[in-house]
Amino acid sequence: MSIIKVENLQKSYGKLDVLKQISFQVERKEVVAIIGPSGSGKSTLLRSIANLETIDDGNIAIDGEYLVKNGQYAKQKDIQKILSKMGMVFQHFHLFPHLTVKDNLELAPKLVKKEGASVVERRRRELLEKVGLADRADAYPAKLSGGQKQRVAIARALMMNPDILMFDEPTSALDPELTGEVLNVMKDLAEEQMTMVVVTHEMGFAREVADRIIFMDKGEIVESGSPEEIFENPKTERTKTFLMRVQK
Amino acid sequence: MSFDYFEMIIMPMLEGAKITLLLFAIVILLSIPIGFVLTLAVRSRIKPLSWLVQGFIYVMRGTPLLLQLLFICFGLPLIPVIGEYLVLDRFVAACVGFVLNYSAYFAEIFRGGLLAIDNGQYEAAKVLGFNRWQTMTKIIIPQMIRVSLPTVSNESITLVKDTSLLYAVAVPELLHFAQTAVNRDATIVPYFVAGFIYLMITLALTWVLKRIERKYRFE
Repeated sequence: MSIIKVENLQKSYGKLDVLKQISFQVERKEVVAIIGPSGSGKSTLLRSIANLETIDDGNIAIDGEYLVKNGQYAKQKDIQKILSKMGMVFQHFHLFPHLTVKDNLELAPKLVKKEGASVVERRRRELLEKVGLADRADAYPAKLSGGQKQRVAIARALMMNPDILMFDEPTSALDPELTGEVLNVMKDLAEEQMTMVVVTHEMGFAREVADRIIFMDKGEIVESGSPEEIFENPKTERTKTFLMRVQK
Repeated sequence: MSFDYFEMIIMPMLEGAKITLLLFAIVILLSIPIGFVLTLAVRSRIKPLSWLVQGFIYVMRGTPLLLQLLFICFGLPLIPVIGEYLVLDRFVAACVGFVLNYSAYFAEIFRGGLLAIDNGQYEAAKVLGFNRWQTMTKIIIPQMIRVSLPTVSNESITLVKDTSLLYAVAVPELLHFAQTAVNRDATIVPYFVAGFIYLMITLALTWVLKRIERKYRFE
């Protein structure tokens, strides 16, 4: 069973269709990169799956449970349960500026999952170690670099033990020399077979790490396939034009 | 001018300062939470509630505090039929007026504070599974406090000075005793003493507020 199943997803702002009949699936342990020009709807698609945008029609099912079926959303209680399987990393990090790194990581597991302090603390140590920030536990986000903030944001999402981790342009707000440290953490996660959906402009990363690429343009999935298929042998003109522009 | 004279005028003025401080404390303690509730009401999805509160804030900010105090102290009892039940103790009436007025100001300050918080904070809280109550209490309000603090500080200092409006409704506070002494002794010294006491109060307040601001700097 696919862990994410999207069927005929439709969303519009007024008369503008931002997502037109989108259908795709993500399998467990798969890394899917969504690429495409600005305004193609890729972030909106990701945000719809995370329930940060409301869709007008279609289905979204996570691990076999419908978040939306034929445009009808599940009950609030079920939505909570479905969403708890997903973690999200944002372009602008959205760390809580009034909390230290440690508290950014520990607040949700303690408050939402009601986990014990010692369990949470152990996991927090492991994850900060993993993203290379074990020494910054007591720092406030204001004292971190962009790359460090994004690594904390990834660790914060992982604290909730999600089955799926979604990234909305995780390196777009970073200085070029800082993207590497974030992408490396993401590569490690891919190697550990984390299921990931990544909206990205990093073609190198998409090519190297993704199992599958989805190319979107003007609210539609134009083409999807393995990195080789998309990058070496794109089938449509739109894909070719886009790739030529970004790889120049 | 003898030391005895100072002693004679300063004791009643310090008594008056107690009233000043009492009013200040009551108004701060009540109008900050009420102001926050008003902010939430303005943002409420129940439109009539939002309009009602916006109207209230408009009136409170758009008319002089002195007018409001006079109205509550001397105007309410003149209302036909129900007026006789609205004769409040002067100090209580003044407290009511100040709390209503300052709540409206604090509501606007907090509204600004909430507007300053990036929508991403709500989204991050949502994807982590926080419910609305947890999001407000743990994520949004602490940040709102940080943003609002400098303005709240400013408003608090204004409040210390506004307490002197009690003079107009004949509640014997600091300025009242100063004026009495000036009238009685034909000397300007009591004004200086009163000014000095106000300065001491605002100095202490500034110090406390600075410490609170430091605590909320998050660095």
